Amino acid sequence: MIPLRLQPDRVVPTVCPYCGVGCRVDLYVKDAKVYRVMAREGPPNHGALCVKGRFGLGFLHHPDRLRTPLIRRRKGAELEPVSWDEALDFAAGRLARIAAESGPDALYFVSSAKATNEENYLMQKLARAAVGTHNVDHCARLCHSSSTAALARSLGGAAMSNTLEEIGISDVILVTGSNTTETHPVVGAQIKKAARAGAFLIVADPRRIGLAEAAQLWLRLRPGTDAVLFGAMARYLVESGRFDRGFVERRTEGFEEWWKSVAAYTLAHAEEVTGVPAERIREAAERYGGARAAAIYWAMGITQHAHGTDNAQALVNLALVAGQLGKPGSGLNPLRGQNNVQGAGDMGALPNVYPGYQPTADRQVRKRWKALWHVPQPENPGRTMTEAFESIGEADGVRAVYLMGEDPITSEPYQDHVRAALEKLDLLIVQDILKNETYPYADVVLPAASFAEKHGTFTNTDRRVQRIRPVFEPPGEARPDWWITAQMGQRLARLLKRGWSEAWNYAGPEAVWEEVRLALPQMFGGIGYARLEREDLRWPCPHLRSPGVSVLFTDGFYTPSGKARLLPAPARPPAERPGGDYPLVLSTGRVLYHWHGGTLSRRSDLERAYPEMKVEIHPADAERYGVSDGEPVWVVSRRGRIQAIAWVTDRTPEGVVFAPFHFAEQPANRLTLDAYDPTSMIPEYKFAAVRLEPAGTAEAAGPG
Amino acid sequence: MSKVPLVVDGYLVQAEPGETLLDAARRVGVEVPTVCHHERTGTRGLCRLCVVEVEGWGRPVPACATEVQPDLVVRTETEALAALRRVVLELLALETDLEHDAGTRELLERYAAHPERWGAPLAARREREPVQDNPFFVRDYAKCYTCRRCIDACGEGIQGVWAYSTTGRGNGAVPGTPLDLPLPETPCVFCGNCVQVCPTGALAPLQEVMLAEGER
Repeated sequence: MIPLRLQPDRVVPTVCPYCGVGCRVDLYVKDAKVYRVMAREGPPNHGALCVKGRFGLGFLHHPDRLRTPLIRRRKGAELEPVSWDEALDFAAGRLARIAAESGPDALYFVSSAKATNEENYLMQKLARAAVGTHNVDHCARLCHSSSTAALARSLGGAAMSNTLEEIGISDVILVTGSNTTETHPVVGAQIKKAARAGAFLIVADPRRIGLAEAAQLWLRLRPGTDAVLFGAMARYLVESGRFDRGFVERRTEGFEEWWKSVAAYTLAHAEEVTGVPAERIREAAERYGGARAAAIYWAMGITQHAHGTDNAQALVNLALVAGQLGKPGSGLNPLRGQNNVQGAGDMGALPNVYPGYQPTADRQVRKRWKALWHVPQPENPGRTMTEAFESIGEADGVRAVYLMGEDPITSEPYQDHVRAALEKLDLLIVQDILKNETYPYADVVLPAASFAEKHGTFTNTDRRVQRIRPVFEPPGEARPDWWITAQMGQRLARLLKRGWSEAWNYAGPEAVWEEVRLALPQMFGGIGYARLEREDLRWPCPHLRSPGVSVLFTDGFYTPSGKARLLPAPARPPAERPGGDYPLVLSTGRVLYHWHGGTLSRRSDLERAYPEMKVEIHPADAERYGVSDGEPVWVVSRRGRIQAIAWVTDRTPEGVVFAPFHFAEQPANRLTLDAYDPTSMIPEYKFAAVRLEPAGTAEAAGPG
Repeated sequence: MSKVPLVVDGYLVQAEPGETLLDAARRVGVEVPTVCHHERTGTRGLCRLCVVEVEGWGRPVPACATEVQPDLVVRTETEALAALRRVVLELLALETDLEHDAGTRELLERYAAHPERWGAPLAARREREPVQDNPFFVRDYAKCYTCRRCIDACGEGIQGVWAYSTTGRGNGAVPGTPLDLPLPETPCVFCGNCVQVCPTGALAPLQEVMLAEGER
């Protein structure tokens, strides 16, 4: 029995809105206020939560919640409150006019990994069916697009190959580029517990993160040298005969070419490049290769590089060579960031694929979607979000952007550049639950309902589809995103004469989900709302008696040949190298108490635990540049400067400054550069050249 | 592995090897009262409320900390066990403010416990002031009977950070932080998994405490 000081009006079972673990929670509500959050038993979180999910939901009740639709009738005018009809007519009319003048590809749609599957499906349908463009994307562009690219081309499936329940089954766990105990804390605790219970934990990370301290083997590699480390591990396994020859011969292709590509990656070379002693690399390789079941977990430290796809590919290659794939507890597991980033990708909120990862370049695929939606499908490839923002202001560039739950000013790299781009837009629609940093640039503001005010489904990082339920009414006039997008769909379909506007009359999220099931029977055919009330389900779940597949690739890969492709993953240097006036490396990331751009976490009690930005600086660097612990310091790159409090610590290696990107007033992304991975178009958030200046000398130094 | 057959309150149970008598009882719907035991934290064997009798064994054993063996005959509700549980509950109630702990209060009623027969409530715990040293939850140890779930949730059981330990001795022994440091100065990550498992409401979300005080 739970010892309550206050009896709730109701207790609503739903899913935590923060990270991709998708913890199941009970919200205790009194007078439309959430006052207690309890973890539910069972997977994925087994009765545990982290500080964000348990104590960080105050944003639901924050005065910055958007309550009324607003429009700016012309540039320079004030935003003024209007009715929903007027706001939607205004927005749809302007979108349609721009589409008529400059073609549908002048419009851009940013979907949201924080919104439900149903809402993501509708947003990409809005782009593809109602407008006729593949210009739709979401924030995975900025996080796991590199993993998705590497996994899709090598294995044919872009998701965790195993489940979180299997953490306890693996006897070797390799975590790299993930500060798991802070970014996916519930999984971090599960990994630590597995390590205490006897699993061999290998952590490859430049920073002395929580898991590094729990690890049996910590490889402190230099930032940006991941591909060499994992290439060398794989090469050593093959060279020493410790690789899984049978697996390579039966289930992979491309070995010869890959083998040539790693010819230079001897252990000695890897030691020189990565700074990790060859002995430790060898031990990591032997432990990983020799394990009964070894799993790799990774996140942004691998992907957010100008060669992020190669980094992820190096991990894929390592797993394939070692045969550590397609068995319980043995696989490749990108830990997804947002609560529904898996779902946003599954639903096709990406420029190059329809729902179910069906390529837009494939004519047969386009025909199928034309048949489902009854409108011709665009042939022009879509732009990625990063390309779209780059194109603003160009002759054939994007002129109008419709943002759903996205705050590009804090999340995109090279902030000053993004601000300038947004000012050039003819139309910016901001659909959000809170006033974010991009809000002042909006021409139309559409107030949305939060996760606690609507029905729908989220898909977590291990492909688990889970129901969310309304806890109370949205504030003011705010409406669920699915309703807003469907209303926009009706109007745009009519104005642009694309299909029937009646096709946008959805009774609710369940009706949208039924359309998804119809379109993707192999993935979701067995997953219905009624079943989700009673059962735990994950995709692929093709029929009503399937519980959903836990371990992917047990028999074949989802490639045309059924075999996995080993692909060369050459190590490339970062786009910008330290030296001269900018001798240090800046790496950005998250801290336990905050979430991404801070829109949510900084409007909750979490802000009281971590109110100001701290940058991690190694003691040797602090001494060299005259920086003291707890004192303000300027971090300066070629693109700008920010001031923060110095945290002098050997958590970060010498020569590397780590800065969290949650703080809009001290935006780390003012410093980062717009260098992109050529395949995934992910920005290089993890590597920029900077220098430090004690804050006292800031005036003398002038702008950076 | 083969099943372990035993009898609990007359029911035949086919238990898994390594299970406890408590698990075995639950398999057949027999609810043995517990206060310290918790699946997730692994806490067991402290409160002695779950004592049961095993035929042929000289004294009662804690069901949560005793493994099943073949052919045991277990009784979970006897006069003698009820007397033992009554004393355990009375001593808990004597030293702890059970205002929010409806679960334990229900057990006091079920076993006709009368704490007052042992004299006035003990002050050692009841007079402790609530600790509010962080923005997320309150530690009100006047309401704590040291079941240790929070300590185990923080350490081995779930989180693996070991921010808590027991402090004080005898009746004054309660969970706390080493050297009584404020929680923000310990390895605490404020996951609140201690709040999740607290059976008495000694650990409670600050939002709940404030809202409840506002209603008074």
